[in-house]
Amino acid sequence: MNKHLKILKIFAGSSVSAQMEYRANFIVQMISSLVAFVGALLGLSVLFGDDAGLGGWSLLEAQVLVGVFLLLEGLTEVLVYPNVRKIAEMVRTGTMDFTLLKPIDSQFSVSSRNVNVFAFPNVLLGFGLMVYALIKLGNVSWTGILLSIPMLLSALTIIYCICFILITTAFWFVKVENIIELFWGFFRAGQFPITAFPAGGARILFTYIVPIAFITTVPAQALIGKISLESVLASLGIASVLFVASRLFWKFALKSYTSASS
Amino acid sequence: MIHVQDLQKHYTVSEKEAGFLGSLRAFVRPKTKVVKAVDGVSFDIAAGERVGFLGANGAGKTTTLKMLSGLLHPTGGSVQVAGFTPFQRKTDFLKKITLVMGQKQQLIWDLPAQDSFLVNQAIFEIGDLEFKATLKEFTEILELDGILKKQVRKLSLGERMKCELAAALLHRPKVLFLDEPTIGLDVNMQVRIREFIAEYNRRFEATVILTSHYMADVTALCERIIVVEKGQIVLDGGIDSLMQRAQNKIIKLEFSHLIPRAQLERYGTVQELDGLSAQILIPRAQASQVASRLLGELPIADVTIEDPPIESIIGEIMSEARVNQQNQRIDLEMMEAKP
Repeated sequence: MNKHLKILKIFAGSSVSAQMEYRANFIVQMISSLVAFVGALLGLSVLFGDDAGLGGWSLLEAQVLVGVFLLLEGLTEVLVYPNVRKIAEMVRTGTMDFTLLKPIDSQFSVSSRNVNVFAFPNVLLGFGLMVYALIKLGNVSWTGILLSIPMLLSALTIIYCICFILITTAFWFVKVENIIELFWGFFRAGQFPITAFPAGGARILFTYIVPIAFITTVPAQALIGKISLESVLASLGIASVLFVASRLFWKFALKSYTSASS
Repeated sequence: MIHVQDLQKHYTVSEKEAGFLGSLRAFVRPKTKVVKAVDGVSFDIAAGERVGFLGANGAGKTTTLKMLSGLLHPTGGSVQVAGFTPFQRKTDFLKKITLVMGQKQQLIWDLPAQDSFLVNQAIFEIGDLEFKATLKEFTEILELDGILKKQVRKLSLGERMKCELAAALLHRPKVLFLDEPTIGLDVNMQVRIREFIAEYNRRFEATVILTSHYMADVTALCERIIVVEKGQIVLDGGIDSLMQRAQNKIIKLEFSHLIPRAQLERYGTVQELDGLSAQILIPRAQASQVASRLLGELPIADVTIEDPPIESIIGEIMSEARVNQQNQRIDLEMMEAKP
């Protein structure tokens, strides 16, 4: 455990200093974060008009949800994205060989190698909006806030696992960077509370097939104190199952990599 | 240290005819064929040995190396390296070996090599004292001063290769797998890299297995050579014993006055005739006899009998093996053709 923490620190340090090499990139990222933020807020105000609710959510509650969405989107860009993108590249260029010959868990190593610090402003924006909307809402319970932490972690785990499983197909199809766009497309649906979607098709899709509901709706429900025990358990359950699945799939992919690549 | 018994690696590859129709046909009814990249290879390598793998592109060198290092799962046969089964990739095994590939790099592109070293230090759990001592030693032998603090992307190919080697050897592995470590380097740099590998082998009593296209790499560095051709070993022996396999000797002559070429050609194959000096190729068994005839019949000022350079001996053996394999295949096909 100690070894892994130390390695995490070194990975993060080297990844951050590698990015400091390209300063212009930072400014471009800042601008694009702001644009996304304003866009999301404008979208909300259009949807809510004066004070009509959306799927049982008030404007302020929905703003908490958008905050959660932006926060998780930011964390994904900081922690998950830069790594999964690299995995496909490593398979294509064959440098995965070096990773496999290091005395360290390969999934851990490929998943923690890079951090994209430039996307960090997104995290702050999301967090800021979340806190702002909560304060305006008033009567926030400590239980809700405490409960929101495991729910957010579980949401991040779900995002990581889905992206990781998708990118692992690179071992067979090699060029798969676009497969992440597929998930990204679904992920955008997380800007809206799950109850805002018509009952039936879309709601089932976003709850059971691509568990978007557990990525944004459930953590937001925890924050505003409207979460059910079933949701908490389901969120933790789905995250654990996906995590085990991602490990098994990775092992399976490695087996076919090491018996077929040249 | 290394024990390999009847090692095999077969790939199933899909075949496709050219053009759109060919693609369509392959899509509807995929045709596959089995390629035997490594086809029954056996050898033993003792600790501290320096062994060179030679062979044409696609002969199976890299595939063998990847099975030895644990990257590939053999189709058949067994491999033992330092008492481990490589493809299980146990931590204790991985700490004992290293793989350097001339065509792939592990250093972080945008950072100085030193940062990549620190990453490896953490992963291999190298103590600070040992790390510093090893780095100091490498800096000396490889002359890394001033290179370590520059971003890898700003280094020349040769400098980068030196850093790659250092990064791969920081944990002081006992078994080195080197796949074309000098590819693309100029002659000077090739020599430096070779010297470093030889020095490492001496200091740490490490086993070195090297593949290369450059015959000079292998002959300068390795005491033993394994030649692979179409997935099989066609030759395995010390450099000395290779010399014995040479079929010809070279006689070098200095004349006291000019000689017509035709006169010289009666004795053997004339490789070179340039003014007063000449070089002719004589079958090994007749070398001394021909030499004495030459002395008696021609105006000779000086004569020496030499072995041909090791490069041409290996070249000879490889082309011989190729012909043999082809003949065997033809035999087989003829047998199959008969009802």
